[in-house]
Amino acid sequence: MSRVPALLVMHSDLGQALLRAATAVYGPIEEVEVLSNEGLSRDDLEHRIAEKVAGWTHGGLLLTDFWGGSCYLTGVSATRGHGDIVVLTGLNLPTLLDYLHNRDQYGPLDLADRLQRKGRESIRLHHGQPA
Amino acid sequence: MSWALHRVDDRLIHGQVVVAWGHQLRPRRIWVVDDASAANDWERDLLADAAPGVEVKVVPLEEGIRIHADEAVAEGAALLLVRDLRTAVALVEGGAIIPALNLGGLHYAPGRSRVNDYVYLDEDDRARCRRLLELGVRLEVQDVPATRSRPLLEIDPAIART
Repeated sequence: MSRVPALLVMHSDLGQALLRAATAVYGPIEEVEVLSNEGLSRDDLEHRIAEKVAGWTHGGLLLTDFWGGSCYLTGVSATRGHGDIVVLTGLNLPTLLDYLHNRDQYGPLDLADRLQRKGRESIRLHHGQPA
Repeated sequence: MSWALHRVDDRLIHGQVVVAWGHQLRPRRIWVVDDASAANDWERDLLADAAPGVEVKVVPLEEGIRIHADEAVAEGAALLLVRDLRTAVALVEGGAIIPALNLGGLHYAPGRSRVNDYVYLDEDDRARCRRLLELGVRLEVQDVPATRSRPLLEIDPAIART
């Protein structure tokens, strides 16, 4: 099983910050790229994403920050026609860590399914107890 | 109620529109007036799914002009998005009554000069801005509701020069 590549496409410096936080928990991270949408038109961002994923011959994951944002929408446009590239949106730190731990164990489609499930499970509530 | 915002933004629907303006104005409908998007089924579907809980209509310019007056008196708030100033001018010249136009995102391209971080204009754009001002449209530069709206003339005096 070959490693599933990933590209984080996010607003401002969120992608870099997430990667830095993941490094603190996971250790040094290789082969994850980051792209910010800052100052880019939709066409420019789409072009840059297309360049980054052009070498993904066995697919990969485009990880974006939120549904409806330009990173998500442009990611969907840029990867149109690439059946093995999955756009996953709503990425949080636990999901990124799960990706790092499992990117050599699954193909892109199964890994994306797993990450969606893990991302949802990672959001938990804890109510304060009465004093 | 209806028209709560008319906006020029080359990204059309995106985070600032869905999250920031969406939260502030609570639109029921977003009209994307854009010939290219309206002619492309895939693009239309993508945009239609991009604003959770809001009805998105992607229509060509001609239909945007046609529906504008009826939508102005429809129930609930509505937003209108165009990707460039050419479309905005065509809408107003076609009869759409637009008192104010929000310039929310016209990004750098060769030949354009900087107005602020998110608005860049070339000479054709500035001529279109002058035309809109002649037609009585206020031009306001503002990316999100939490920032101050500023008249384009105030931050780009070149607009006033012919």
